[in-house]
Amino acid sequence: MKDKVIHRLLFFFLGIAMVLLAVAFQAVRNINRSVATSDWVNHTHSVILEAEALRTELYVGDAMMRTYAQSGDARDLAACREALANALDHLDIDKALTRHEPAQHDQIIQIESLVSPRVEFAQALLKARQSGDTEKVRTLLNTDAGSTASHDIQRGIDTLKDEELTLLTERDTASYLQAQTTRWTVWTGVVLDGLLLGGVAWLIRDDLSARRRVAAALQEANDQLETRVRERTAELVAANAQLSSENLERQWANQALEHQLRYNHLIVDSITDLVLILTKALNISRVNPAVIHLTGLDPTALINQPLTRILRLVTPPDDPGGPMRDPLAQALRDGRDLRGQAGVVEDKRGRQIPVHVSMFPLRDRDKIVGGVVTLQLVTPGIGTKA
Amino acid sequence: MPANSVNQIAAKKTTMNKHILIIDDEASIRDILGQLLTISGYRITAVASAAAAIESVRQDPPDLIISDLQLEDADGLEMIARLKVILPNVPVILLTGVLFDQEVVSDVLKTKVACYLAKTSSLTQILESVRRLLG
Repeated sequence: MKDKVIHRLLFFFLGIAMVLLAVAFQAVRNINRSVATSDWVNHTHSVILEAEALRTELYVGDAMMRTYAQSGDARDLAACREALANALDHLDIDKALTRHEPAQHDQIIQIESLVSPRVEFAQALLKARQSGDTEKVRTLLNTDAGSTASHDIQRGIDTLKDEELTLLTERDTASYLQAQTTRWTVWTGVVLDGLLLGGVAWLIRDDLSARRRVAAALQEANDQLETRVRERTAELVAANAQLSSENLERQWANQALEHQLRYNHLIVDSITDLVLILTKALNISRVNPAVIHLTGLDPTALINQPLTRILRLVTPPDDPGGPMRDPLAQALRDGRDLRGQAGVVEDKRGRQIPVHVSMFPLRDRDKIVGGVVTLQLVTPGIGTKA
Repeated sequence: MPANSVNQIAAKKTTMNKHILIIDDEASIRDILGQLLTISGYRITAVASAAAAIESVRQDPPDLIISDLQLEDADGLEMIARLKVILPNVPVILLTGVLFDQEVVSDVLKTKVACYLAKTSSLTQILESVRRLLG
């Protein structure tokens, strides 16, 4: 999209540059034409002025010639000669001015062919008057076809002047058309450049709007992403806090349990009587140090062994059940305490130690899971052998 | 769901940054309680002995004391009595693993401590007691 816009802008700017070049080219060309036209107009006016001056000097020369013929005054002679010389000078100038314009130059040559006899006549008359030959002067004056010659010269000059004025009018019309063309060119260029600049402005505005829309969409997407990141971060922080709390709570529960276990062991281990914890099957699951101390047996030799491994109940002689009955098992099955039962403990060396046996069932929610047996020594010290 | 409750309570962090003195000879107890109360926004000092507790109270008086009943160098209740001489109005939570009958505890200890909690109590219960006593 970006490249496309840039190509369009380049195209528009290229169009603007071309229009500007065309206008500049046309304007320069018209300026050159105007300068050339101005030179030509000045030149043409010079030709006309010189022709008019020629006419004037011929009038003056002719008048001075006649005056001198009558007066013989040297000042009139000088004035006549000066006027004639001036007329010839103007004629030469006109010839020079029209040297590149054959039609006008031909006309000047034609005028010259009329002026030259007139000047020669005047010089002849002046010479005759100067020499005092009045007769010759009179003859020359009588034979002079001055009015006809002057008229021909006047007509030649008028023709030249008319043609020059006609050309001036044509040039004026051409100049006006050139000026109009220049105006139209300039205004057309201005309008075209305006349109092209408008197109450029529209393209830039359109492109800026598109960029703003894209930027807004990007910003919105970014905001949404940031919101999601914040939400996710908050969730992670909350989850982390939850995890930390759960971890702390678990650590606390573990240490509390461990503490209670240690405390319970402490209680049992602190009792000086022999304490044995039994399973429901009357196997030993735990003993306190007093048992180890009395029997000399290692705990590994006692744990998971039947209670009868170290303890034997003494059956009274009058007991109807006799040795076949097991009061401990019976009491455990019945879930009742057994107190003060006589018994003997056999130590590591086989010695038998008389004890008082008590048994208390262990209940877990109305279910008997084992029992606690406590043994109290009948007499301090070592008992008699069975 | 104690953990969640702990989390919710922990989220209500106090800006007052009140000071709590923890006295327990077990490092794990001091560590867990310290973490819990720190993330709950409290400033914590944790010591292991009665002598260190008395020194701490003199140097930086706490707003609340959480003490074990049995310390290596003193009886907890005796130590609390000595601390009360220095700070008569500071509330004390007695936290112990020794199992007492709750009714007996409330009768015997109510004049000496503000609150008795077994170490089997959950952290949520401990935090709630702390917040209740510190307002």
